[in-house]
Amino acid sequence: MTGPSRWQGVALVVLRTLIGWHFLYEGYYKLALPAWSPAGAPLGAWSAAGYLRASSGPFAPLFHALAGSGAARWIDVAIPIALVVVGLSLVLGLFTTRGCQGAALLLALFYLAAIPLDGVPHPGAEGTYLIVNKTLVELAAVLVVLASGTGAIAGLDLWRQRTVAQRKVNA
Amino acid sequence: MHLTPEEQALGRRNFLRAIAGVPVIAGLGAATLARGPVSGGPVRIGYIGVGGEGRVLLANTDPAYAHIVAMADINPAQLALADAALEKAKLPKAVHYAEWREMIQKESLEGVVIAVPLWAHTEVACGCLEAGLHVLCEKMMAWDVEGCERMRATARKTGKILEIGYQRNYNQVYQAAYEGIVKAGGLGDVFLARLAWHRNGNWRRHGDPPAPTYDPSKWGYPTWEHLLNWRLYKKYSRGLLAELASHQVNVTNWFFGAEPEAVIGTGGIYRFKDGREVDDHVYATFEYPGGRSAVFSTIESNAFERNYEVFYGTKATLLLQGESEAYLFEEGEPGAPASAAARPTGIDVQPKGSGPALSASESRAADAAGRPAVGGATGTGTPAERLSAYRAEVSGFCSAVRVGTPLRCGPDRAIGSAVACITAVDAVAQKARLPIRSSAASAS
Repeated sequence: MTGPSRWQGVALVVLRTLIGWHFLYEGYYKLALPAWSPAGAPLGAWSAAGYLRASSGPFAPLFHALAGSGAARWIDVAIPIALVVVGLSLVLGLFTTRGCQGAALLLALFYLAAIPLDGVPHPGAEGTYLIVNKTLVELAAVLVVLASGTGAIAGLDLWRQRTVAQRKVNA
Repeated sequence: MHLTPEEQALGRRNFLRAIAGVPVIAGLGAATLARGPVSGGPVRIGYIGVGGEGRVLLANTDPAYAHIVAMADINPAQLALADAALEKAKLPKAVHYAEWREMIQKESLEGVVIAVPLWAHTEVACGCLEAGLHVLCEKMMAWDVEGCERMRATARKTGKILEIGYQRNYNQVYQAAYEGIVKAGGLGDVFLARLAWHRNGNWRRHGDPPAPTYDPSKWGYPTWEHLLNWRLYKKYSRGLLAELASHQVNVTNWFFGAEPEAVIGTGGIYRFKDGREVDDHVYATFEYPGGRSAVFSTIESNAFERNYEVFYGTKATLLLQGESEAYLFEEGEPGAPASAAARPTGIDVQPKGSGPALSASESRAADAAGRPAVGGATGTGTPAERLSAYRAEVSGFCSAVRVGTPLRCGPDRAIGSAVACITAVDAVAQKARLPIRSSAASAS
């Protein structure tokens, strides 16, 4: 079996970069808060508590309990950092497999916290979903990137692998 | 201005129809280039002067926009009242100072709100600007033209924000009237504006000093009476022209897109011969380019028509009354029969697209964030639109500090009405016609 064609490779790396930017900016934004919008409106500090409290679906009780637990403030720190780390990994193509695994884990958690089961639009959320929403689609896209080994196509993983191989030769 | 209920209903309907769908926040400019958020929390501000006007601003400070770190006032009784105002507004306590210089030296501030007697505006504002602070200064800009120019030059030199607190610039009724009617040409050619602020009271305040031994002389007030009634003394005040007319001339300059070139004045101390130095009846006609005039009157002997601004155009007449009510009458329009209960008209603001927009309904105004305000009485006797404008003024200043949103009444706009009203004081004293020097003369 041969590897992906040139255009398939380009498309996969573009996909990985876009997903990475999405993660990176989501994390950066949360870390930047409190902040102000360009139009001059204050934006309060970020917290996962509201998202967790609004959780729906079969796993909702677990997420509701997390929102009220002592772990909530650690979640507020861990989520933005995890988003930034995963985002950097995918954008740079560095430790790409680990980055994809992290992205898949985070997206799975986000999906499980709010599985769309009622199939009607909700205030503040665009689109109408039943079971499949954009989080699940992005999770599937991450699995494609993970399965394709894009670190071997483009990114700092290539440089890292060459450096490691060179060290072995020198040793 | 007195209107029958039928006339109110007609004028209100016309106004709402004319401004329907007009964006409230015009000209702020949605971001056209990708920009992220600007990091930072509420702007750390201090208040200098927490008398009646300062406390109105204090109580209308949105904690999401500003954190009131400290407040300074030479009168400890005012600081105690300010504490109560903070508590009532559910805002955290602030550190007290008597001396503003000590406050800005000791506290880590980004900006100040200045509401001290007029004669001290230039000294305090320039001192704060020089210290690297942004400044929101109550109107009028300064006691004299030189003071205004020094403030503007200092703001330019330091690169700090200087906003002058004419709250009508933040009032959604005025913004809608300008955007939806004046700017859109709905009035036709306007040759006359009528500005009135009529009251029936002596403007003199009564109160005991904060302590029997209290001595304000080191701050330039020889007696407690001079501090308490500073508005009645020429050394500290420019009288009714500064305290009242400058608001209305500021609006006229905005709506006319011009500044007056000359003023004819008369007036005097006709009723309250109680030792005051400023007039209790003042009449001034401001002459604008293009044959336009604004006729101002203020009396302290009758409150029948309260305060209003009327713009008489060849197509229609716009009446803005009490900073909250707005009416529009088309020329030659036959009077409509009574069809609505008399109640003040406000503007309903609901988020539409990228920002709040006006919709034609007879409900009350919303706050700066577009949240509907509680309708009707505010519990203070002050129209909701006016309090909302104060809140928007302080919040707008903070937004300008943090992300550089445009000022609604920066020094270039504020100086025009200040120069006009300062000249009018002289014209009234001389009962003469005096040219008004252009506020742009020293702009370079």
